[in-house]
Amino acid sequence: MTDPNQQPATDRLRRIELVTEPSLGHLDVEELLDELLERVRELLDVDTAAVLLLDPSGSELVATAAHGIEEEVQQGVRVPLGRGFAGRIAADKRPVVIERVDHTNVINPLLRDRGIQSLLGVPLLSAGSVLGVMHVGTLRQRTFTEDDVQLLQLVAERVTVATQSRRSAIEHSAARALQRSLLPGALPSIPGVSIAARYVAGEAAGLGGDWYDAFPLPSGGLFLVIGDVVGRGLRAAVVMGRLRSTVRAYALTDPDPARVLSLLDQKIQYFEPGEMATVLVAIFHPTLDKVEISCAGHPPPVLAPPDAPAGLVDLAVDPPIGVRPALVRRSTTIEIPDGAVMCFYTDGLVERRGVDIDERFAQLCASVFADEADSVCTAVMRSLVGSESASDDIALIALRVRGDEGQAALDIHVPAVPASLTHIRTALRRWLVNASVTSDDATDILLALGEATANAVEHAYGPGRGTVSVHVALDGSDVLATVSDVGRWRPARGENRGRGTTIMKECMDDVDVRSDASGTTVTMRRRVEQVQR
Amino acid sequence: MTNASVAVHVEGDDVAIALSGEVDLDNAATVESQLHKAISNQAKAVSLDLSDVAYIDSIGMRILFALAATLESLNITLTVVAQPGTAARRVVTLSGLDRLAVLEP
Repeated sequence: MTDPNQQPATDRLRRIELVTEPSLGHLDVEELLDELLERVRELLDVDTAAVLLLDPSGSELVATAAHGIEEEVQQGVRVPLGRGFAGRIAADKRPVVIERVDHTNVINPLLRDRGIQSLLGVPLLSAGSVLGVMHVGTLRQRTFTEDDVQLLQLVAERVTVATQSRRSAIEHSAARALQRSLLPGALPSIPGVSIAARYVAGEAAGLGGDWYDAFPLPSGGLFLVIGDVVGRGLRAAVVMGRLRSTVRAYALTDPDPARVLSLLDQKIQYFEPGEMATVLVAIFHPTLDKVEISCAGHPPPVLAPPDAPAGLVDLAVDPPIGVRPALVRRSTTIEIPDGAVMCFYTDGLVERRGVDIDERFAQLCASVFADEADSVCTAVMRSLVGSESASDDIALIALRVRGDEGQAALDIHVPAVPASLTHIRTALRRWLVNASVTSDDATDILLALGEATANAVEHAYGPGRGTVSVHVALDGSDVLATVSDVGRWRPARGENRGRGTTIMKECMDDVDVRSDASGTTVTMRRRVEQVQR
Repeated sequence: MTNASVAVHVEGDDVAIALSGEVDLDNAATVESQLHKAISNQAKAVSLDLSDVAYIDSIGMRILFALAATLESLNITLTVVAQPGTAARRVVTLSGLDRLAVLEP
């Protein structure tokens, strides 16, 4: 049998190349290292081989793959930078040879317990910075030659390249998956509003931290946020995810755009110092004829009224999130004409190197018109992006208020559970405002529908549950409402049964309850006064 | 390689810096360290002329915001000079930097 040490170094290296070739592209970092270490063990005729990678904090090496000394990985060995054998290699960025292992030069008890006599380790270096450490050991005492050191360094170079490209590929797909999971799956369906969005991930630049989010508020208003975390890759995507959940939480506790941004700013400066993001928060009034906007260094929205050319909205602009503590943030209230379109976007849509930003703004305004939200998104993307591939993330969200299609009917189908009642009330409240029903009439209708839906939730279904459907429409000067379920009402239990029906009858001009084997439908009608708008 | 140049003129406690060229991810760290080097602890007022900045992206803006916040905490006044009609002027007002510094003219 040939002594591997007698083979020319080039031959030995070829074996390493075999395991770094693209055909092993399906392996993840750990599997790849595992494969490589097996080869290294044969190549250098050693008993143990291990790779430790620097953790994200950059202060500790973590055992990631090992051969002959698998316990390192199994026990999750961590070595502080600068201490012990591996820690010294990483800190000094140079190879270390230990001919005779003892407790003065090796702190990791696993290496000593395993009976390792001699060790050789080299740093995994990429552009001068340490990615980790690779070391080999023998159970008999051995003098590692200069050739051995050089050979292991060559192997380390290949390991570095393979690890890095594999790692960034994994990061890339993880960031994509994360980003996708963070975009709203479906935009909210809100009576009186058509809403559409586009999101394109930057191609050449990898990933950014753009996001948008829109949801109805319990008060009946509509909350919209769009933002862009400065930076790229997985990190930006992760920060973006945190911003998004934080904004959602504050939107519910304090639905005021400047307050939401101030709280977000505080949170980011405390928990994510050094991060910066431009963010715009818009809260639409339940009547949808007004929007209050607070802007943290974000590009201004475009407003296209039905009877005039589109223009950039003039806003008070405050610095981005994460810049300076205790900033007083401002907000601007904008009137929205009936049928108007508003467009929100991130800088990837308008910024092009070498092109005057005002030229791009003009182009954007020229492509926005008071039409269905989805057509507006299509037109904007066609005009500003065309066939070029994005170099930065692009997020775009367009929203059209009401239009002249008249007051559409309200249709809700929700699970017959108590939590649905608040959703139904929220939607109904907004619908009544849009229908210009006076507040006295609206209060009565809310009450009557509340009783009818509560009955369905309470009595229609057994533990198997079902759904409740609400349909509300204007019929001349009447509001016509039906609440239906497909369950079988059980006989009343408890004391208060029957009071609900009384309330419905008092609040509405006409109440009709029909119940048969296929379910129950409550039909109610009430004449309403409409406020002149 | 993206090119920017940082020209510094010190007169007593006043530091006048003229930034020109382009700033992006590629040279942001270099520009930042040049700016920090230009401003000594003795400075009382800093003026930063951005009129000849042809392009600055969000990473470049992060440097300027960080600088503005730091100078504010050190009680050093920051004046940002950006001539009307320049790309830099537009970026300063669009990003809200004018709230952390005096904008001239």
